[in-house]
Amino acid sequence: MKRCTGTPAELCGLPYIEGTLPEHQVELFETHFFECPVCFAYLQDLQAMQAALSRFPAEKSDIPVRKRLSILPARTWALGAAAAILLFAAVFSFRALNLGPKRAPIAQSTPPSTSPVNPQEQANPASSASIRPSQLADLALPPFVAPNLRGAQEDAQFESGMKDYARSDCRDAVAALSKVPAQSEDSRAARFYCAACQMRLGNLTEAAAQMHTVAAGGDSPQQESALYYEAQIALANDDPAAAHQYLMQTIALQGDLEQKARDEDRKVHEFLGEQTPEAPEKPETVAR
Amino acid sequence: MGDDSNGEDWMLPDGTDGDQARMAAAVSQGDRDAERAFVERYLPRLRALLLARTRNADLASDLLQDVMIEAICALRRGQLREPSKLTAFVMGIARNLLNSHFRAATRQPDSLDLPDDLPDLSSAASKLEDEERESAAMHAIANLETIDRTILQMTLVDGLKPGVIAQKLMLKPEVVRQRKLRATRKIIDFVRGRSQTSAAIHLVTRQKE
Repeated sequence: MKRCTGTPAELCGLPYIEGTLPEHQVELFETHFFECPVCFAYLQDLQAMQAALSRFPAEKSDIPVRKRLSILPARTWALGAAAAILLFAAVFSFRALNLGPKRAPIAQSTPPSTSPVNPQEQANPASSASIRPSQLADLALPPFVAPNLRGAQEDAQFESGMKDYARSDCRDAVAALSKVPAQSEDSRAARFYCAACQMRLGNLTEAAAQMHTVAAGGDSPQQESALYYEAQIALANDDPAAAHQYLMQTIALQGDLEQKARDEDRKVHEFLGEQTPEAPEKPETVAR
Repeated sequence: MGDDSNGEDWMLPDGTDGDQARMAAAVSQGDRDAERAFVERYLPRLRALLLARTRNADLASDLLQDVMIEAICALRRGQLREPSKLTAFVMGIARNLLNSHFRAATRQPDSLDLPDDLPDLSSAASKLEDEERESAAMHAIANLETIDRTILQMTLVDGLKPGVIAQKLMLKPEVVRQRKLRATRKIIDFVRGRSQTSAAIHLVTRQKE
């Protein structure tokens, strides 16, 4: 039998010590970690973190937290604004000196070695940007993260669909995942992976609609990914403005895809020029 | 589940039932080494369970002693009908004691007959490991962004829900959830990295000796 890789503890450990794991899952998880050294070690690490947090000096004072975290010193703002003005002036002067009146497309500044360029476009660089937004689109299937525990009620269609998904058999995965009932616990995950398959199959309109439903459904493990893939679909449709909006929403969630979305938004921003503001830099944290 | 490997993530190592049966049988026959092995195996796990269920280290520690004493006494008396279900038996005792504790207004610590020849239930080695883990976690927490640390403290120490934390910190609940997960992962990775390094150092030292 294969050794456990720690997935159960990664999924249930934190809610378990928070006390938010449903009772039937609590019992399953306890039964598991009593026998599984990997998950037990993970749980011990989590409990050590909890103990350390309780001993760590809390960020508590009479000032409400919302006030403290939202305020940056006025001097920081002033310095930031001055730096931005200087930077803008420097860039503007540089362009005026080097490019003259004939302004090249912004995307041409990308080194040719790093961006795939259409030979026709290369022959006539002034006709359009050297790369198109669709070339930035990341339409790879997102990895599957198992949402359920052993013994928990799992939809048979979902299980079957995800087996197809794991084999990258998108057609069969779509067929199975589409049958997962809306009231099933797996329905949102099913919709997300179904959308990913549609995206992979090139059915971008259907994929975008399903991703949108998942993202609009609110807080879920798939919400951030759904927004990110909405951006990818928008890029694939050569719509950088929409991609920018979705990337901004992804960034706003500050999750695992935040950095990836920021990097991509910088590239997308080149297609948008100065009409749209770039995603703000990561907020500076307040010194204790 | 996504594929077979994901399904097997929940499966237990082979031979678990046999080990349990052997251990239970040995304890019931008065084997003191088996009792020590029993304590070594179940004490840390029960501590983790009780701590998670009570969220109170002192109470968990008190209950832990009661559970261990009751389990050892029951095993000595041969009260375990299916020796291969030792883990389920021990967990059952822990849950029963927890339920009794939460049902009763006050605990009744004198309800157990204390045998004289109990194995050491303090487990100094595991205490040292816990301290090392906690110290590594402390270090990782100190390097977190203030906002992440605040979110974790509000969640795991104050027991606040993401909605409430979001309101206090002027963030969206989704942002709180994501930051909490990311910060937790950072700490766990750090603690694990530390413990692996520490294990490697122990190994090298022992090899040199």
